Amino acid sequence: MAEAIVSTVASRGRLSSDRARSRRALDRFMTGVLWTAASSIVLLLLVFIGYEFVQGWSEISWHFLTGYPSASDAGGGIGPEIFNSFYILFLTLIFTVPISIGAGVYLQEYAGSGRFRDLVQFSAESLATVPSIVMGLFGLLIFVQTFHWHFTAIGGALTLTLLNLPALMRVTQEALGSVSDTFREASMGLGATKWQTVVKVILPSAIGPLTTGIVLVSGRIFGETAALVFTAGASVSYGKSAYDFNPFHTAETLAVHLWSTHREALVPDADQIANGSALVLLVMVLIFNIVARVVGRQLTIRLTGKS
Amino acid sequence: MSILESQSAASSLTEKMNVENMDVFYGSFRAIKSANLKIPDRRVMALIGPSGCGKSTFLRALNRMHDLTAGARVTGTVTLDGTDIYGADVDPVTVRHRIGMVFQRPNPFPKSIYENVVYGPRIHGENNRATLDEICERSLKQAALWDEVKDRLQRSALDLSGGQQQRLCIARVLAVNPEVILMDEPASALDPIATSKIEDLIGELKKDYTVVIVTHSMQQAARISDFTTFFLLGDLVEVGTTSDIFTRPKDKRTEDYITGRYG
Repeated sequence: MAEAIVSTVASRGRLSSDRARSRRALDRFMTGVLWTAASSIVLLLLVFIGYEFVQGWSEISWHFLTGYPSASDAGGGIGPEIFNSFYILFLTLIFTVPISIGAGVYLQEYAGSGRFRDLVQFSAESLATVPSIVMGLFGLLIFVQTFHWHFTAIGGALTLTLLNLPALMRVTQEALGSVSDTFREASMGLGATKWQTVVKVILPSAIGPLTTGIVLVSGRIFGETAALVFTAGASVSYGKSAYDFNPFHTAETLAVHLWSTHREALVPDADQIANGSALVLLVMVLIFNIVARVVGRQLTIRLTGKS
Repeated sequence: MSILESQSAASSLTEKMNVENMDVFYGSFRAIKSANLKIPDRRVMALIGPSGCGKSTFLRALNRMHDLTAGARVTGTVTLDGTDIYGADVDPVTVRHRIGMVFQRPNPFPKSIYENVVYGPRIHGENNRATLDEICERSLKQAALWDEVKDRLQRSALDLSGGQQQRLCIARVLAVNPEVILMDEPASALDPIATSKIEDLIGELKKDYTVVIVTHSMQQAARISDFTTFFLLGDLVEVGTTSDIFTRPKDKRTEDYITGRYG
């Protein structure tokens, strides 16, 4: 018995063998394969951004960024479209943020485990799988035809709200889930009510991931096309100004403009306008992603004192 | 024989809390079986027993923390100054206001030291800055932490050491002026020096507060408590003065545990 143990130890203890060498080689090879997979993502992004810059950079000018689009002549701008993109994003967040955070807080902090919780969860997951073009047609049916609003910024924003509620609810749930239960116990142990605990401890502790999530969803809203074509319309407002704050006027966003310019190609410089628009859109969405990271981290440090 | 009766001649004890026929269930599992215990005012009561014996479960039933756990259920009566805290018209939030709790791991909020201490007074409606400052200073002094943090009250509580964080959590409980303080192995995550500071602090606290403390360390129970209760497998086996429990236990199971037979 004792000898057997000694011999096992001896064979295991040999520091180099063919088997060990081949295992180590495979390990190194696989590390390389996985590294390549990871870096290809960075490479793809760089190639994509580079391509867009080469294609679109020459189009960018102050006139292009702020000017009005043209119906038939060359040299149209995208000013109102950029404005509309931000305006519809703003309207969408006004509806989406309170509802999705409210629902997320309810599910995570109040619902416990029960039928109603499962029902809300199932509804949100089903809603999340609806393709945006289907949501766009639904918006057309409700806001444009039934309500007789025609193509409006608010119709587009409400459609986008339906589209993004599940994602932001999920973000809220995960952000709250990341807050340690010891905080809940400490707060309740001091005689706080559930609502006080949520408002004063849980939400402030979750503010970092929550903000990151909201900004990332904003990036998606900013770039959404299919849901807006039939709800907010594919032309800018012809009211007093194309920079129009009236939510009941038509409001073509940058992403929709990119699509419609390509499809209709009525202007001679449609390709250039599309390339320029694509570059602006891409840069905007990238800025959203960077802001999401920076702001999320700063808020976490500010409100919790910990990085 | 009740400890209150046996001790009253010597030290005039009054009863702060009284537990009668308490059962605690997790689903269908009966974690505490018909426990009866009188907790004397302004003394330290230690709850000891091997892991999983139910001592923490018992402690958490004393300020209705089980309300927060899905599937947990408490039956029997627990009175505070004669009123059943599980009574139909009793607000659990008020119960936890009067019976504070310090947890096993220090759990300061991710806020400043100052905001941690005044959290309780704030949620109970105190907004006067001068009053809050006063409560903050008094509580931190009581928790023997004031001298170490008085120059950095606005710094994050998470920058403090583990022992300081735990004393901060005690200060946070003291700030709401509870009558009873429950402590769930408050020193088990701390080093020996921090532990001895917490123990000294408990010795001070019993002048003004009733303290019930769960500990896995028999030495700690012997050092700091006036009374000791022994739990085993959900049964409250024996209660007595700490010196009696450690020198003349009446129950064979207590003796086996004290002499190290359960490990």
